[in-house]
Amino acid sequence: MPVNPATAPRPDVHAHEAGIRIDFGRSVVRLTGREWFAVGLIVFICFAWIPDLWERYEPLDISLVYRVPYSQSEDYWTYRRLLKQIVEADRIPVIGDSFVWGEYVPADKTFSSFLNAETASERFTNVGLNGAHPLALAGLVRNYAGNVKNRPVILHCNLLWMSSPERDLQSSGDVTFNHPRLLPQFVPHIAAYKAPLSQRLSIVFDRNLRFFDLVTHVRTCFFDGRDLQSWSVANPYANPLARINRHPLDDSTEAHHDPIPWTKQGIELQDLPWIDLDSSLQWRGWRDAAERLRSKGNRVLAVIGPFNEHLLVESSRLRYQAAKQKVEAWLRSEGIRYVAPALLPSDEYGDASHPLSAGYARLAKSIRADRAFQEWFNSD
Amino acid sequence: MLFHTWTFAVFFLITYSVYLALRRTSYWLPWLLIASYVFYGWWNPLYLLLILYSTLLDYFAVILIERSAHRKLWLIVSLSNNLVLLGFFKYAGFLTNQANALLSLAGTAYRIAPPDILLPVGISFFTFQSMGYVIDCYRGDTDRERSFVRFAAFVSLFPQLVAGPIERSRNLLSQLRRLPPLSQDDVTDGLSLVVAGLFKKVAIANYLALYVDPIYAAPDRYNGAALAMATFAFAWQIYCDFSGYTDMARGVARMMGLRLMLNFDHPYLATGLGDFWSRWHISLSTWFRDYLYIPLGGNRSSASATYRNLFLTMLISGLWHGASWTFVAWGALHGLAYVMTRGVERSTWYRHRIPTIVKRLAVFSFVCFTWIFFRANSMSDAWLIIDKIVDSPWGDPAFPLLALALVGSLWTYELVCESPAKGLLARPAFRVASVVCMILYICTAPGSGDVPFIYFQF
Repeated sequence: MPVNPATAPRPDVHAHEAGIRIDFGRSVVRLTGREWFAVGLIVFICFAWIPDLWERYEPLDISLVYRVPYSQSEDYWTYRRLLKQIVEADRIPVIGDSFVWGEYVPADKTFSSFLNAETASERFTNVGLNGAHPLALAGLVRNYAGNVKNRPVILHCNLLWMSSPERDLQSSGDVTFNHPRLLPQFVPHIAAYKAPLSQRLSIVFDRNLRFFDLVTHVRTCFFDGRDLQSWSVANPYANPLARINRHPLDDSTEAHHDPIPWTKQGIELQDLPWIDLDSSLQWRGWRDAAERLRSKGNRVLAVIGPFNEHLLVESSRLRYQAAKQKVEAWLRSEGIRYVAPALLPSDEYGDASHPLSAGYARLAKSIRADRAFQEWFNSD
Repeated sequence: MLFHTWTFAVFFLITYSVYLALRRTSYWLPWLLIASYVFYGWWNPLYLLLILYSTLLDYFAVILIERSAHRKLWLIVSLSNNLVLLGFFKYAGFLTNQANALLSLAGTAYRIAPPDILLPVGISFFTFQSMGYVIDCYRGDTDRERSFVRFAAFVSLFPQLVAGPIERSRNLLSQLRRLPPLSQDDVTDGLSLVVAGLFKKVAIANYLALYVDPIYAAPDRYNGAALAMATFAFAWQIYCDFSGYTDMARGVARMMGLRLMLNFDHPYLATGLGDFWSRWHISLSTWFRDYLYIPLGGNRSSASATYRNLFLTMLISGLWHGASWTFVAWGALHGLAYVMTRGVERSTWYRHRIPTIVKRLAVFSFVCFTWIFFRANSMSDAWLIIDKIVDSPWGDPAFPLLALALVGSLWTYELVCESPAKGLLARPAFRVASVVCMILYICTAPGSGDVPFIYFQF
């Protein structure tokens, strides 16, 4: 006989009659509503206070030659702290990728160091991150540069990222790239980024909570970049608490590569295709970073290149110059001050886009002499 | 869509919000069905065809059982259909391999091409649940469900669809026949179950997998101590993985006012094998008891027939887990040991003279031994592991102390739960502190990999 749902007995009666146990279970910690409220409050306090307490526990000494240690390139906790301290010390952040970081040079021979020397100031600070392509830069500005307001900022534009579909993240093949956590997770569609939905949602959630940046920081600095569980499998008898100290390893002073000119590295001339900027994801990312910085009242000075044109075949060089002209045209149309330094001598490049220390010195000198830079610098 | 991922969190948030909004209307049940189908189709939309076919066939089979003069015929049609589905998707590859091995032994060059079939997630669970309903209707133990939507929701209800508990119509279908009452306690209880399950899965099971997987993938490279510790770790991994899933499933259902059956009850505190099977995967054990062991005759005739029935039930239970000789061996070992110890376990001497700790350790050790067959990639691997544990020199197992501490804490907690000191665990401060610690640990210590549940493969 079918059952009338309105008059059906309660479920636990059926279950009991059938010998089915539907009780809560003995092993689970069972909380009441009030206790859940207490749990929520304590967890909230931990999430809010632990990052602040950690900042007091672990000092970050931003000297003039400080740069984010190479091994902490994806440690956005340190990056956020760096920007915060720059703002507090009234310094000028020089934002960019490994061009700004100084791939082939020690910490005191970087772009920002030579700018300080040229301007006889102690204001320019290296805020470069290895592998921070423009889409990642936009993510850095969006998520970690919230306190950079109403101040002079240098934003470097490295056109290398627009030189091929792979670098522009338009290729749907197997492309490896840095900083996936900084990418826009849903819009625009990035063909090279293939993270599953759950990972994307996790990233969106994590990067909005400082607590999770701190977790990544601790893993990066003290647990070889691994989570505690994976680390403990590799170090079964080690005490994880003994690993943590106030002064994480700093590998930022030395160059990441030997300072050898590209001509002596066996690098051949290249025929880079260059992406049309109208369809370039990276160019869109760079514009987004610049616009976000400006929207917060920052006085942005863009520095374009200088890309190592010596390394390009003629046809590729012409395509590069066309792209560069488009960048300049956009900056002019937006009223953003910019400097487009002249090409450096060939032996002052380490590869396609990174100068050696002599190159940075020459670059800083030429920028210092540029009228756009002087107007921007003196207006501060 | 795994319970411990953000995808599920978003899915549940949407499903739950709409469910709460629809509770005053008659659409709450169709909504649950839609949500369940979205959940299942997330793995592979083609799976939906299979579950829909299975549901339709059983729905109409029960109508025919009720109305037709050939009741048994329709029961057989329904059961055969379910078993053929299960056999085709789950055992076709295994049977082909065995047939090819026989052909090889016979010296023929002919080989049957192995089928390229994708095993639908949770097929063993929902087919068993549906079969249970059909048998219950045939026996007159439950009422036929007139609404197809309600029956389909019963077969596919998303919290328990892919790894149980294998629900009975008398429990779950009865609850779906009226709007499940929902109180604040249901929500808080549900949350408690979800957090406990999440901790077991993410903090313990996934952690132990980091140690177990490489060792069982290449047992020849490890010493006896490492293999023994990997087996010990796997015992806790599979327990935390499966009971963690069950806790989360029960918690999610509870937050919707639905009470799913208990599936685990401190199995590693069992004092006998009979006791173990009344605590481990209870929904499957009782399913086999009600629909296989008892129909085979149960313990109603001679002792030898009882032992035969017990052994057969355990053997088939082993085969249910997977199409491999290792699972058959696992089931057979449990069957044999159960048959051999049943009498002893029931004796006064065993119950009162043997210290509980000894009984528990003996059962746990035996269960660990059988897990070797369950986890090993092949029978030869299983023999190698046993051989190395017993015969080869033991070295440093390199088992992480942190993992040992977590497992030790869980074991101690369960021990206290079953001891006179359980009142200590009932103190609010202890419970709040435990949950805070679990949440903070989940947020900080584990990696972010979406490790699937072990039982999804069954």
